[in-house]
Amino acid sequence: MEHIELFFKSIFIDNMVFATFLGMCSYLAVSKKVSTAVGLGAAVIFVLAITVPLNWLLDQYLLQPGALKWLGAEYADYDLSFLSFIMFIATIATMVQLVEIVVEKFSPSLYNSLGIFLPLIAVNCAILGGSLFMQSREIPTLGLATTYGVGSGIGWFLAILAIAAIREKIRYSNVPPALRGLGITFIITGLMAIGFMSFGGMLTGGDEEEAPKEVKTVKVEKSKEDLEKDKVVANNIKVNE
Amino acid sequence: MGLLSKKDAKLITDPLADNNPITIQVLGICSALAITAELKASIVMALSVMAVLAIGNVVISLMRNIIPSKIRIIVQLVVVAALVIIVDQVLKAFAYELSKTLSVFVGLIITNCIIMGRFEAFALGNKPWRSFLDGIGNAAGYGLILIIVGFFRELLGSGTLLGFKVLGDPIEKTGLYAIGYENNGFMLLSPMALIVVGIIIWVQRSRNQALIED
Amino acid sequence: MENRTDKNSYTILFAIGMVLVVGALLAFAASSLKPNIDENKRLEKQQNILYAMGVNENDDSSANFVSTTDAPELFKKYITKQLVIEGDKVTEDPEAYLIDVKKEQAKAKAGLERKLPLFVGEKDGKTFYIVPIYGKGLWDAIWAYVSIDENMVVQGAYFDHKGETPGLGANIKQRFFMDDFIGEHLLNESGVFKGIDVAKGNADPKNENKTDNEVDAIAGATITGNGVTAMIKADLKLYKPYIDNLKTN
Repeated sequence: MEHIELFFKSIFIDNMVFATFLGMCSYLAVSKKVSTAVGLGAAVIFVLAITVPLNWLLDQYLLQPGALKWLGAEYADYDLSFLSFIMFIATIATMVQLVEIVVEKFSPSLYNSLGIFLPLIAVNCAILGGSLFMQSREIPTLGLATTYGVGSGIGWFLAILAIAAIREKIRYSNVPPALRGLGITFIITGLMAIGFMSFGGMLTGGDEEEAPKEVKTVKVEKSKEDLEKDKVVANNIKVNE
Repeated sequence: MGLLSKKDAKLITDPLADNNPITIQVLGICSALAITAELKASIVMALSVMAVLAIGNVVISLMRNIIPSKIRIIVQLVVVAALVIIVDQVLKAFAYELSKTLSVFVGLIITNCIIMGRFEAFALGNKPWRSFLDGIGNAAGYGLILIIVGFFRELLGSGTLLGFKVLGDPIEKTGLYAIGYENNGFMLLSPMALIVVGIIIWVQRSRNQALIED
Repeated sequence: MENRTDKNSYTILFAIGMVLVVGALLAFAASSLKPNIDENKRLEKQQNILYAMGVNENDDSSANFVSTTDAPELFKKYITKQLVIEGDKVTEDPEAYLIDVKKEQAKAKAGLERKLPLFVGEKDGKTFYIVPIYGKGLWDAIWAYVSIDENMVVQGAYFDHKGETPGLGANIKQRFFMDDFIGEHLLNESGVFKGIDVAKGNADPKNENKTDNEVDAIAGATITGNGVTAMIKADLKLYKPYIDNLKTN
């Protein structure tokens, strides 16, 4: 259940593109055609699915304050969290180049269709964002971290697929010349993001425990003491005077 | 620009308009959306990126002949990240107040693709001085858009500029608010940043027809 | 001709060299600057606690702390007691303000007894109970120091955050937001803990009704606001038994 909830949450509610606006650069640059968008989207899912759990392990056993406990009690006080950025980035860049080398070796056809996107992914902030969110939201288990990675990837995939499809069709519309291409894409993305914001209420089922509001007819009379107290409260003194 | 040759000066002026990193090269969009709800934050971000990009460009340019091409992306990322982290730590130690204002931007700077983009496209193939100018120019072009977007979003969204209530007080109903004007809270949300950038592109391309895509 | 820099051996050597250089630089920076950074953080905590009880240098619109040079002295002067509550046990601890609330929350989650730090301040004959709370905003951690009186009415608050969106969520550390909390009641009319909601579409934008358990939300910062509501509800509640005890004794 936990997994399903996190999965859908990361696809729709916390959609990388529409809710947090990560990975915009490649999203805008590589969404001219559906086929290339699918390639890049698939690559993002793949890389997120690998790097988020990997960075979760790093965070859990190396970077968090007290994470080095497994080395012995005397290491329990070390706090390497200032290294998280650089470690996460190094993991991502290494993974991306590793994947590039492996794919090139074993499946040249896949490499030809995917290859040019791989370097792009290393600089895609959605990937680093995924790992950083995983860290700051304190995702508790490796399994959930994987779910989160895959879910976020699918969310990104969905977004780029949608915009690519729209851009293919919009060619038949009469867009003002100066807006053609990038300009209209920005605006459509903005409108799509507004649409996606409506997912915000999903899973929470609106506001929790919304009790029927009591209609207050009588204002609570404050006792003199209380009023006196309220006055003392707010005066911030200047100490230096 | 007596100091700079014509070619060098172009490195600075080009990215301001015809080769703008945001509206033409499509770099650094994420941060342009995230932090432009406020003019002040836009300015701070623009200056930070300028510092990081100029220094980073010089470092990469100095190393351009010794970086192995196979792992160049990792090297570039590590250079930016290390640079930003060290600056952040130094600020935390000696200028704590300043570091608190800037700490929000640390993550955004590292993941800003404008930095990687310029490393890859320019610094790897050019001499340090030219790379430095390229860094300044591109960061300026990037900052320009940021500031325009920040200006409109803050003005229309909260009715303030740099925190000053230029349109009157919305609660006390003074100034413009007295005649029924309301803030457009929508401008504060990120989707509106996308739309504002879209409009900037529209204006820019209407003025310079050469930039229009098919 | 193959370029020298394309060779595998060179690549590996370069990578090792880079890791060593960068690692050494970062480790050096972190360890040599750590005392300074820790000192700054310590002073900041003192400033925050003092701010919450109204010892600050606020001018008309902006929030200003007392200066770092004065902070330790003023902290000694105004904070009379630093308590650590552990279950039913209450102890005094002069270093209580250094307790990491985040770690204590993790302990409670793991089923262990957590320490609840509480600072007692005196100013102009009035007693303030200052409580540190900690939670999550949109991007990262948010935290606050809230000072309350014996009736759990908020006397002052200082909010801060690690990386909320500038202009939106980051505004929780602006005066207009923090000052709204002053005078707000944490209990409802029958004395049950209710917390304070950061409410959208508040019917009371000037915040004149202090007993409605609501303050006005920041436009466009829903998730940060929800985080504030949640951390107030979760953390301040834990102090209720202790504060109740004070009244009966």
